[in-house]
Amino acid sequence: MSEIERYIAPNQLDDALEALAGGPVTIVAGATDLTPQITGGKRVYKATLMNIQHIEGLNAVTKKDGKIRIGSLVTVSEIRGNPMLKKHGGILCQAANHFASEQIRNAATIGGNICNASPAGDMIIPFLVLGAAVELARWQDDRIETRSVPLDEFFTGPGRSVARDDELLTAVIFDVPPENSIGFFRKSGPRPALEISTVSIGIGGDFSDGTLKNVRVAFGAVGPTALRGKLTEAALEGKTLNQDVIQAAALAARQDVSPIDDIRATKWYRTHLIGVFTEELLNNVCQN
Amino acid sequence: MAEDVAFKHIEKTSLIGKRIKKPDAPAKAIGKTRYINDMVLPQMLYGKILHAGRPHAEIISIDTSEAEKLAGVHLVITAKDTPDLKLGFVKDNAPLKSKVLCERDEVAAVAAESEAIAAAAIKLIKVSYKDLPGVFSAKDGLKKDAPQIQENFPGNKSLKFKFKHGDLAEAEAGSDIILDHVFNVHYVTHCCMGTSCAIADFDHNGKLTIYSQTQYPYNYKMDLAPALGIDPGDIRVIQPTTGGSFGAKLDVYPYEPVAAILAQKTGRPVKVLFDREEEFINSPTRQPAAIHLRTGCTSDGILTFRSADVLMDNGAYTSWGPTVPVIMMRTVSGHYRVPVIDFKAQAVYSNNAYAGSFRGYGNVQMTYATAQHMDMFAEELSEKHGMDPIEFHLKNAQKSGEVTPQKSYLRECVLAECLTTAAAASDYVNKHKTYTEACTEEGRYKRGIGLASSIHNAGGAKIHKSDGCGTILKMDDYARVTVITGASEIGQGIDAVISQIVSEELGVPPEHVTLVNNDSDIGPWDVGVHASRTTFIAGNGAKRAAIKAKKQILAAASKQANVTAEELDLRGGYVVQDKDGAAVIRLDRMLRQMHFQPTPDVVMVSDYYEPNSELEGKDHISDHSAAYSHAVHIAEVVVDTYTGEVKVEKVTMAQDVGRVINRMGLEAQMEGGLAFGLGFALSEEMIFEEGRLLNPSFRDYKVPTAPEMPEIEMHFIESDCEEGPYGAKGIAELPTIVIAPAIANAVYNATGIRFLNPPMSPEKVARAIWEKKQADS
Ligand SMILES: Cc1cc2nc3c(=O)[nH]c(=O)nc-3n(C[C@H](O)[C@H](O)[C@H](O)COP(=O)(O)OP(=O)(O)OC[C@H]3O[C@@H](n4cnc5c(N)ncnc54)[C@H](O)[C@@H]3O)c2cc1C
Repeated sequence: MSEIERYIAPNQLDDALEALAGGPVTIVAGATDLTPQITGGKRVYKATLMNIQHIEGLNAVTKKDGKIRIGSLVTVSEIRGNPMLKKHGGILCQAANHFASEQIRNAATIGGNICNASPAGDMIIPFLVLGAAVELARWQDDRIETRSVPLDEFFTGPGRSVARDDELLTAVIFDVPPENSIGFFRKSGPRPALEISTVSIGIGGDFSDGTLKNVRVAFGAVGPTALRGKLTEAALEGKTLNQDVIQAAALAARQDVSPIDDIRATKWYRTHLIGVFTEELLNNVCQN
Repeated sequence: MAEDVAFKHIEKTSLIGKRIKKPDAPAKAIGKTRYINDMVLPQMLYGKILHAGRPHAEIISIDTSEAEKLAGVHLVITAKDTPDLKLGFVKDNAPLKSKVLCERDEVAAVAAESEAIAAAAIKLIKVSYKDLPGVFSAKDGLKKDAPQIQENFPGNKSLKFKFKHGDLAEAEAGSDIILDHVFNVHYVTHCCMGTSCAIADFDHNGKLTIYSQTQYPYNYKMDLAPALGIDPGDIRVIQPTTGGSFGAKLDVYPYEPVAAILAQKTGRPVKVLFDREEEFINSPTRQPAAIHLRTGCTSDGILTFRSADVLMDNGAYTSWGPTVPVIMMRTVSGHYRVPVIDFKAQAVYSNNAYAGSFRGYGNVQMTYATAQHMDMFAEELSEKHGMDPIEFHLKNAQKSGEVTPQKSYLRECVLAECLTTAAAASDYVNKHKTYTEACTEEGRYKRGIGLASSIHNAGGAKIHKSDGCGTILKMDDYARVTVITGASEIGQGIDAVISQIVSEELGVPPEHVTLVNNDSDIGPWDVGVHASRTTFIAGNGAKRAAIKAKKQILAAASKQANVTAEELDLRGGYVVQDKDGAAVIRLDRMLRQMHFQPTPDVVMVSDYYEPNSELEGKDHISDHSAAYSHAVHIAEVVVDTYTGEVKVEKVTMAQDVGRVINRMGLEAQMEGGLAFGLGFALSEEMIFEEGRLLNPSFRDYKVPTAPEMPEIEMHFIESDCEEGPYGAKGIAELPTIVIAPAIANAVYNATGIRFLNPPMSPEKVARAIWEKKQADS
């Protein structure tokens, strides 16, 4: 653990971004990823520790002009209990239900989950299924400069993303899904609570007359980053769901992923589970 | 007669079997309890140990100069500073090492002003190692060209056990079915919520006070002394509140003498406290074993023989782990009526982690094997001969008065009642049949029901020369009772039980009984909290001491009331007439009257209770426990045959408890014990690669969480043990022992697959089911 020289907790976004522009800063939100990484020696503090929890305007969930915007400080518990999201982004609530435990959910922010860039980050999967983009802000020429990055272009490796050191993730934004949209999430681990995903999967799209369109499939913990299942999507796009299509999709899903062996699971098991869950979720879609 | 007793009548009531609150529970629940981990002594330094982090190596050099220069560091020590100090069951271990034999080996230690400084200093110690080829399994340790681990143990051979009874060849010839399997029981660890901690403090006369989590304070002195080169008499053990032990603290481990040596050399109190990762790597494990079990049976369902050949990975040093065959063989020879026995066990040194004692002590491992063999017989006999599975178990279940081949005398034996009670309550036979039929049908989720039982010592286990416990009881002028007992409280609830027993005898509320049991300079001897013995042994001691006190009081009262002592009783804080409960005098008054007279009569009594058991002995033929008990678990599971997840929905248990003392404590022990067995069966596993632990964290070592606990239906069978207090038997290990094979048998019922190698993790189960499907198609 290296020494923290300065601790700041700005209330305003511009103060925070100015501080970020000014030098090495460790950002902390709920600290549920950061603290174990520091105490486990996997990471060291930079000179300035910035608590972003007091920044105004980053903790709202809003629906406006056909878009849903979730501030980066919104916690997993807030997602879980949000009635508007239950209606328009149910897959987010499903993922929140399976996330850690009550205490961790109360502290964990979605900004932290995304910026931690773990291939097993559970909130990333539903956001990928919803086709979300992240909003990144930085201080440039004495003003706030923002850019939007589609989430499926955000991650570059485990713990790595396209976000610059002087950028703060301010929100996740996605189009309000159409009325006929569906979305399902599933994760696996030997325990029902407090579990890091062995694999996770989300499937969503517009579903009418037994046919899926605008399909998005995302997988977690089966590669260096959470990823979109392009072959699976192709196997499903525009198809009328039946057992043959479902089996073909499950096969495609197994080809989409390239998991590794580690102490939590072997490559075989992860691949096997991806097939099982793809089938399971598509059966859920049929029954829906 | 004093006025306040006129017309007062107190009925005879009993607290035995009632729910008594654990006195320390509220403070623990609200976080007020100060555990040893929280303790700070004036002038205290913080000790930290440098562990080798490699399994087998020569230490070429150690440079401590940088660490010594760091501001706030008082002392750095290495093996050079601790010559000739030994510890362990066969004295093969040392506080600090001059050669590395396993990952956890203690290479150097620091005492510093703060934890942070101590941690920084440890990083500044430079050690140059020469890595050596290692031994990472018992099998490899036995190979001719295997590296030699411990100098004094040629061929890497550690402890060895043997027991034979009857003619094996003849028994085999007389068997219609012979089962032959190897069960590989894995590494798990205790996961005490309070990590290992010791605080050592020397006075100027050379006497050591050690604040310890130990479960056996009196023999602990004997084991710690040679690790310090001092006299055991110069050690005082204080046991502050601990966050769990479960067998992990039934030996002296290097961090304890290291704390003491640092304290001795710095002249300051020194505290060593592990963080969670250190705890995982540097604590004892459960003894792993490869159990080659063979069992014979006739077509009439009568067991003919059992032979077990057990190979144990000893790890680098010998703690209590490799002594578990002492109990394993009692299971082989005593789990049901088995006439012919052939038991062998050999422990082999390796460069792996080493095991200590752990709740269930060898029986968790052995019952995983024997109870599955019983299920395999039941399956085959029912399939081929139409025998009812419960009938098969009952045919072989011992009855009261039977004696096992090792001479365990089953005085009160209710295994049959346990079997029939649990089977009836869970509708075992019907469900088992239904699920067997459904097993081969299509479908993702499969239900299964599984039965297992076991036997365990329930009145201590005389592996030391004394299995006794001392008790000193005094009453003050206000009728408050203080019980000074040798028995330790490590969370298991002897505090509530002793209060309850004393309260039962002396007619005072349990809240008026104070327990003093955490200072070896005060308490009388006890062999320790282990072997499910404390309620039985210390409970008997407390009862006997309380009866002595009662006699003394009633003798004094009888003189006053002009009746015989036999006509009097103590109830509700009064001396009363036994026949109608008419109050004679308030108890506190009585005590003051006894006290304040020319020849004072003060209540201060003592007792030393030694159970009527026999010393284990070298040939293992002895009635080593004052009681034995049985339990039956029936587990109902749902297996997701796609993901391999096993959900235990319900467990019906029937256990011979002798007699219920504190019902709440008993239920809690059943639940807690079951949770241990559940983790062992399904999710907990220490994963080693070449002697290094790969998952030293709660993220990757999966202890069951609350939602995984099944519904538990408990049936307490009261066999009324003649020797036990009020008929009670020891109870705390059986729930851990029996559940895992019950789950394994249920998983078999659901899937048709036997899991000989726990844990039945989702991946293992999914893989086995998938492979079976591939083979079938
Ligand atoms: C016991 C336990 C269980 C867990 N279970 C799960 C689980 O089931 N599923 C799961 O997905 N995760 C789980 N986690 C991980 C963690 O809780 C989540 O990833 C959480 O969402 C992180 O959010 P946080 O606010 O705590 O992030 P922090 O720890 O505060 O930050 C995480 C990282 O993101 C950076 N960061 C945070 N906010 C921003 C921002 N706005 N802009 C730029 N960078 C930022 C930080 O600098 C840091 O690098 C668990 C953690 C623990 C300790």
